[in-house]
Amino acid sequence: MNTIFRRLLMVEWSGLLAAIILGAAVLAWLSPAFLTEFNIYVMLRSFCVALLVGFAQMVTLAVGQLNISVGALGGLVAVLAGGMMEKLGFPVAVAVPLAIGIGGLAGLLNGVLTVRTGINGFIITLATASAFTGINLGITESIPFYDMPPSLVAFGSNRFFGFPYLLIAPIVVAALLGLFLARTVPGRHLLAVGGNPQAAELSGISRDGITMLAHALSGALAGAAAVLAVAQLGSAQPTIGADWLLLSFAAPIIGGAALTGGHVSVLGTTLAVVLIALIENGMVLAKVDPYWVQFVLGALILAAVWLNRWRAVRTGMG
Amino acid sequence: MHLAIESASKAFPGVQALDNVSLELRPGEIHALMGENGAGKSTLIKIITGLYRPDGGRLLVDGREVSFQSPRDAIAAGISAVHQERNLIPRFSVGENILLERLPTHRGLLDREAIHREARRYLDLLDRGIDTRAEVRTLSVAQMQIVEIAKALSLETKCLLMDEPTASITEHETVALFSLLRRLRDEGAAIVFVSHKLEEVFAIADRVTVLRDGRNAAIGEPMSAMTRQRLISLMVGREERIVERPQRTVETDVVLEASGINTAFGHRDISFALRRGEILGLYGLVGAGRSELARAIVGDIPVTGGALRLKGKAVRIRDMHEALDHHRIGYISEDRKQEGLILAHSIRENIAVTIWKRLAGMLGLIAPPAEARAVLPYVERLEIRTPSIEQTVGNLSGGNQQKVSVAKWLAANVEILIIDEPTVGIDIKTKAYLHELIHEIAEAGTSVLLISSDMPEMVALADRILVMHGKRLVGEVANGRRYETVSRAIMNRIHAVEEERPAAAE
Amino acid sequence: MTDDAIPTSAPRRPGLLGASAQFGLFAIVALLWLVFSTLAPGFTSPINLFSIGRSLAIDIVIGFSQMVVLATGGMNLAVGSIGVCAVMASGFLLQDLGLPIPLALAGALALGAALGWLNGVAIVRTGVNAFIITLASASLFLGAMLILTKAVPYNGLPPEIGAFGRMRIGGYVSPLLIIALAIGAALYVLYRHSALGRQILAAGANPRAAAMSGVPVDRVIVISHTLSGLLAATAGLMIVARLGAAMPSVGGEEWLLPSFLGPVLGGTLLAGGSVAVVGTIIGAALVTTIRSGLLVLQIGNFWLQLFLGLILLAAVMADRYRGIFVERRSMGRR
Repeated sequence: MNTIFRRLLMVEWSGLLAAIILGAAVLAWLSPAFLTEFNIYVMLRSFCVALLVGFAQMVTLAVGQLNISVGALGGLVAVLAGGMMEKLGFPVAVAVPLAIGIGGLAGLLNGVLTVRTGINGFIITLATASAFTGINLGITESIPFYDMPPSLVAFGSNRFFGFPYLLIAPIVVAALLGLFLARTVPGRHLLAVGGNPQAAELSGISRDGITMLAHALSGALAGAAAVLAVAQLGSAQPTIGADWLLLSFAAPIIGGAALTGGHVSVLGTTLAVVLIALIENGMVLAKVDPYWVQFVLGALILAAVWLNRWRAVRTGMG
Repeated sequence: MHLAIESASKAFPGVQALDNVSLELRPGEIHALMGENGAGKSTLIKIITGLYRPDGGRLLVDGREVSFQSPRDAIAAGISAVHQERNLIPRFSVGENILLERLPTHRGLLDREAIHREARRYLDLLDRGIDTRAEVRTLSVAQMQIVEIAKALSLETKCLLMDEPTASITEHETVALFSLLRRLRDEGAAIVFVSHKLEEVFAIADRVTVLRDGRNAAIGEPMSAMTRQRLISLMVGREERIVERPQRTVETDVVLEASGINTAFGHRDISFALRRGEILGLYGLVGAGRSELARAIVGDIPVTGGALRLKGKAVRIRDMHEALDHHRIGYISEDRKQEGLILAHSIRENIAVTIWKRLAGMLGLIAPPAEARAVLPYVERLEIRTPSIEQTVGNLSGGNQQKVSVAKWLAANVEILIIDEPTVGIDIKTKAYLHELIHEIAEAGTSVLLISSDMPEMVALADRILVMHGKRLVGEVANGRRYETVSRAIMNRIHAVEEERPAAAE
Repeated sequence: MTDDAIPTSAPRRPGLLGASAQFGLFAIVALLWLVFSTLAPGFTSPINLFSIGRSLAIDIVIGFSQMVVLATGGMNLAVGSIGVCAVMASGFLLQDLGLPIPLALAGALALGAALGWLNGVAIVRTGVNAFIITLASASLFLGAMLILTKAVPYNGLPPEIGAFGRMRIGGYVSPLLIIALAIGAALYVLYRHSALGRQILAAGANPRAAAMSGVPVDRVIVISHTLSGLLAATAGLMIVARLGAAMPSVGGEEWLLPSFLGPVLGGTLLAGGSVAVVGTIIGAALVTTIRSGLLVLQIGNFWLQLFLGLILLAAVMADRYRGIFVERRSMGRR
């Protein structure tokens, strides 16, 4: 029994899955509202943006970098998308890819600055975060764009029973990202650079190029998250992204990502976001202070870090 | 492939790693590259593989001058290498690591079957026991080394550089590797082979280039005309005259006593006694576990069993801080760049680090003049050549850096000083000076545990010599100062264990 | 890097490049003062000078709270959370418990130090990097504070608190600024002249070498985080004095950028092993000047973030290229 338990703990996402099942069971038992169609819809909807935010950080962690600017970048992309659609009258099919592309470019800027200057990515993205937020506020003066195309708003709010259409996007992204990291050459190179930069370089992999790729991908994912947030809210709020920072690290780290780079898990990150959505939902249902979410998220990160550490010590592969 | 390096030079802050070094590599030969630690072998390999760019000199491939901007260029030019550092991705499978340069794809996705099939081909040349699907982090060190060699082989380049490929693999695997290298040579490959083991070099190399202190001591001399003695003298430099010292009489009171110590590193049943004012040598080959034993004594590696006694009292030392503050033990690390010195700080700060506590007066404050007064005598005594004690240590030469890391422990005025490889990569004059110094401090009553793989150094300095092999003490040799006798006695202990071992292991 | 980047610079990189960085920063601040006072005469009015000085005091101390951890090669993302925890603790102790002012302030400072100590212990015990630990603890501390206080501000503080915040010495100098500079002087002495400060810098520059030289590295890291918490709490209390009330919205993530701006602009290396006390003060002065100038020119707060971000980028890049230049020059000398 003990050994089976131990072995299960060794599988990174096992603890998460157990926590999710347990949490869902407890919530279903305690609150009749939990399993209603509408509640499931609400929960799944809140999951969409969060997952992409987690992915946006996950790809930088994979290469051994970090991106403090995910939220600021998301906010900027959100208002630019909103502006393009409201003020410039771009159709959704043009504005959305363009917005995600701008996110990718902004991410690439992070990457280029980090690689070319050789300065710690933390400081670079802290600075660009401030700059992105500044541009966002400078453009909007804190006033949202309310007039979003109906098709986008419909995509953000319509549902098929408990299944929000919005969820299609993160599912597709998760599948593609999983495939990219596990089965494509650039994806493997990205993890190789994160796992052992010098070895990757000696194998002829361009460390700089891959680092820039990871930042660009992070920007594009943050941009995609921002577009989803606009669809979900039905307006382009300049405050989108303001509270993403903690979440962006929480999801991949609770999902088992190595802080030193080279190891991330799409499945783990997804389960982590499910768990976070479940906790938030549970708190809403239990009418607990919303402040608890903040507290619990912090505690979860510490617990995850501790668990990873414990696992590394157990297996002797720190 | 014909590869030539002509007068390559490379400087790092504080050290001229290579100075006008040349090497010529012909197709169909195995070319040994020899030299002591710090002689510049690895730097040269890294220049050829595009990891470093030389400050001066030319690199010619088949007569054409080339300039590698990155390892990619070197690979593209047909040069592959096994480097000394572990260069594998821990979380990747063995197969992926071997084929990392050119992962096979099918419709844009990795073809896993092809990866394992391909990798298997190369791995089978060396070792059938390694699973290509296993994650590299689950392998043993020897297996990782095999994977690295397979990785280099898989590039099927006409030029192969091997930096100590046999450092951690078994005899059996070495034999397989050698027959493979000979076959590649006969097929026309040009191979550079770096090793510390003279037997291996004599067994496999056709020609040899020797580096000493970043310069050529020999360029492409045929091995057929080389003797063991001559090769050693080329590496070590015969101008090195080790001063004959008379045998010393050492006091009998034991300062440090280890009885039956086991450590987390894997040492088993280590027992010895260090007496006041004694220089106790600890000799062993690379990987014997000498430095780790020293670390265990100062608490850096956990002691898991047995007892450590200081002047008869059992102690448990948890870290260097306790070793220094409570027990007056010092440790001069062999890795002066990572562990011995803070390169970005000044000479003054590097020396005073061990005595700040003592210098601090009221409110824990240090008066700068007092600090300078405390540091200066050691700078003078050790003849550290610098315009001022405010000089950044990173800007000093290797010899002067080593003097600083010694000065720090002299200033600390410890009772027991563990000195780990004090003269590796140090010029001969400084080396002689440091020997004199170690002798002096022992005369003054400090007990010294001297770790060295430099046999002449050991014979010149130690009073007694402990022999370590495979994380165990395998004997003690009284030092009669007669080099031939003592070194033979030491090597006999090591080989005696080596011979028992295969029988026991297999 | 700068003239007081303690470990390496002053004596050994003879003057020119080192001092020029800080002088350059100082020159930029002076230039901005000239520009702002020309464009907006109100900029140098006694009341504005007083208000700038008061903000500067807070920015300086926030910068110090980050600087002391940067010295060890770590970072503290929880400075804002600790600051606001101290703010609300002071409100609770003064208003709800009615403790005398000195006792309440000491209590709030002690809480800040304790939270910093917790960070330090968690980092040392788990071996996980400071970034993640303090990111998580920032959320934990802030969440706990909000749960306990329900985000209700304390408006009924003793009037002496607000009076102290409004006090002007000699017409336009806030006592808060004097406190901040005094803290700066104390930190300067700590890093330059004390055994502990030297050990902190050694541990920051090369933890392994420091540990192998007998420096108790873990202890030094815990002490630095405790000090960081104490300084963050001090900054929080300065804000309480400025507002005359304890608000739950004053800290948090908002401090993050200013906390790094001061030290990094001033030349404290992220890699650890050096601090620039004077540099941090000038760096904070630059931030405060720009903020106040934009306000006086009525450009509005909206573009402020952009300016701060660009300045940080420009500063680190300038520093980077200066570093390369110094390296080349010293290589050339050999």
